Amino acid sequence: MSALTTTARSGRAAGARPRSRRGTRLSPYLFVAPFFLVFAAFGIYPLVFALQLSFTRWHGAGAATWVGVGNYVYLLTSPEFWASLGNSAVMWLLIVPIQIVAGLAGAVLLANAKLRLRGLFRVAFLAPFVTPLVAMAQVWIVVFDQDYGLVNHLLNLVGLPDVGWLTSTAWSKPTLALLFLWKTTGFAIIILLAGLQAVPAAVYEAAAIDGASRRRQFWSLTVPLVRRSMAFLVVVQTLAVFQMFAEPFVVTEGGPYGSTTTAGLYLYDHITASDLGTGAANSFLLVLLVFGLSLGAVRLLRPKDEVS
Amino acid sequence: MNQTRPGPVQYALLALLAAAFLYPIWWAVSSSLKPAAEIITNPLAPGPVTLDNYRAMFADVPIGTGFANTALVLVVKGAMTMFFCPLAGYAFAKYAFPGKNLLFGIVLLTLMLPTLVLIIPLLLEMSALGWVNTYQALILPGSIDAFSIFWMRQTIAAIPDELIDAGRVDGASEFGVFARVVLPVIRPGLAALAVLTTMNIYNDFVWPVVAVNDTSHQTLQVVLSTLAQNVTGNRIGADFATVWGELLAAGSIAMLPLLVIFVLLQRHFINGILAGSVKG
Repeated sequence: MSALTTTARSGRAAGARPRSRRGTRLSPYLFVAPFFLVFAAFGIYPLVFALQLSFTRWHGAGAATWVGVGNYVYLLTSPEFWASLGNSAVMWLLIVPIQIVAGLAGAVLLANAKLRLRGLFRVAFLAPFVTPLVAMAQVWIVVFDQDYGLVNHLLNLVGLPDVGWLTSTAWSKPTLALLFLWKTTGFAIIILLAGLQAVPAAVYEAAAIDGASRRRQFWSLTVPLVRRSMAFLVVVQTLAVFQMFAEPFVVTEGGPYGSTTTAGLYLYDHITASDLGTGAANSFLLVLLVFGLSLGAVRLLRPKDEVS
Repeated sequence: MNQTRPGPVQYALLALLAAAFLYPIWWAVSSSLKPAAEIITNPLAPGPVTLDNYRAMFADVPIGTGFANTALVLVVKGAMTMFFCPLAGYAFAKYAFPGKNLLFGIVLLTLMLPTLVLIIPLLLEMSALGWVNTYQALILPGSIDAFSIFWMRQTIAAIPDELIDAGRVDGASEFGVFARVVLPVIRPGLAALAVLTTMNIYNDFVWPVVAVNDTSHQTLQVVLSTLAQNVTGNRIGADFATVWGELLAAGSIAMLPLLVIFVLLQRHFINGILAGSVKG
């Protein structure tokens, strides 16, 4: 790297740069070049290729047939495509509101300055976040098994009948949503806790002196001040839910009856079916949707007037 | 926030929450250590401790290959992230150069690019290059990622310019300043980056499962998912209990390295997780 900058330096000996900054002209470009090389090769090139592909019919071999917007029309009129979006939307409803409320509750519990063992609780809450998703998905298969699983074992102990957690269309989505919630709510707590701790204690003291009740303080001080952290969480989790793939792929393989074929898994199905043009078109529709949703979430949760 | 001493109710709620988060992990590990049949007949109480499930799993599942492949990808891809991302972050934080805003804008834009959109075209690119089932397919895409560059730029921007200029006056080359002045100063940030990068690469699943379909290149997570598919699809002839025992043994052993790193380096972990939230 330094050899390269030296060459550049001597090549521009008469440069107008001051002596102390000589050689700095080219170095920043060299420093950022590796990222742009990798991005061009494995980001821009496949993106452009995918855009072109999305207007063709191609099954991985032979010549691609130009079909114009055919793939897009096919998807937008396909019940399966809409069903996959619907499944993801239901997942979103089962996950994001619950996670925000539970995350806020956990963060408020942890935020008390006089709390003992905070470090220990934090480790416990974050442990699921660092475990490999696939490993825990395996545990879910076993724990929620209809015939031999732990959960139905417990239900039977108190006299309740078996539930088809992963085999009935009614329960398959909540069971997968629970896996997602279990895995990432600790992350939500830590993010919201940081938001809470950024609120100076003096603000609360002033409010208390003014006679604001605890409940009043929560709604008129805490919530507005963690709005930024909440907005971040909603955007990140919306992206994650609509790209959800590993959970249904490992636990339910999209079933039963397609009830857990999320938008992410449906996209993968195009690969296994070698229907690559449709798959590319599906990718772009999904990106548009995810962008729209994140923008909407940011706008909705943006503080009315910026609190510094 | 409120300064009143927390009461027993608050501790009870926190303990309950902690138990809910820890129980599935504890159940998986403790069940993996008891006789396979008892996982089904007696799922609640821990049974006599045995390593039978682990023995059976090591005999049936290529988990050693999975660990070795993950380790290789982790070391090479992790090293690329740890070297090139701070380097680019340094350029964006401390240099003024024509086109900087445009280039940094592109970095920010790629932050918003969902990984899913690239899966199909990347797979086709790999197959055109003849790279399906290779290590470079697992390593190169995403090896220098926008988020880490953004994060390192924020970290390096906080270094006083005087420190960097002092390095230049001492006659260090531009790269020398980065290596001998910048990197030592941002060591805590690098530690957090290392821990977070380790977690992300170790747990990565979507791309490896698409890019690799032969056993010899499968990463640990892909090995695990193949095992799970054998169970859900009932494609293993063996009896239920044995398969479950192997499944839980494989899952437990796969969790172990990250849980250990997490407990030992939790401060860096939490810094890494929070670094993500400042971009909002």
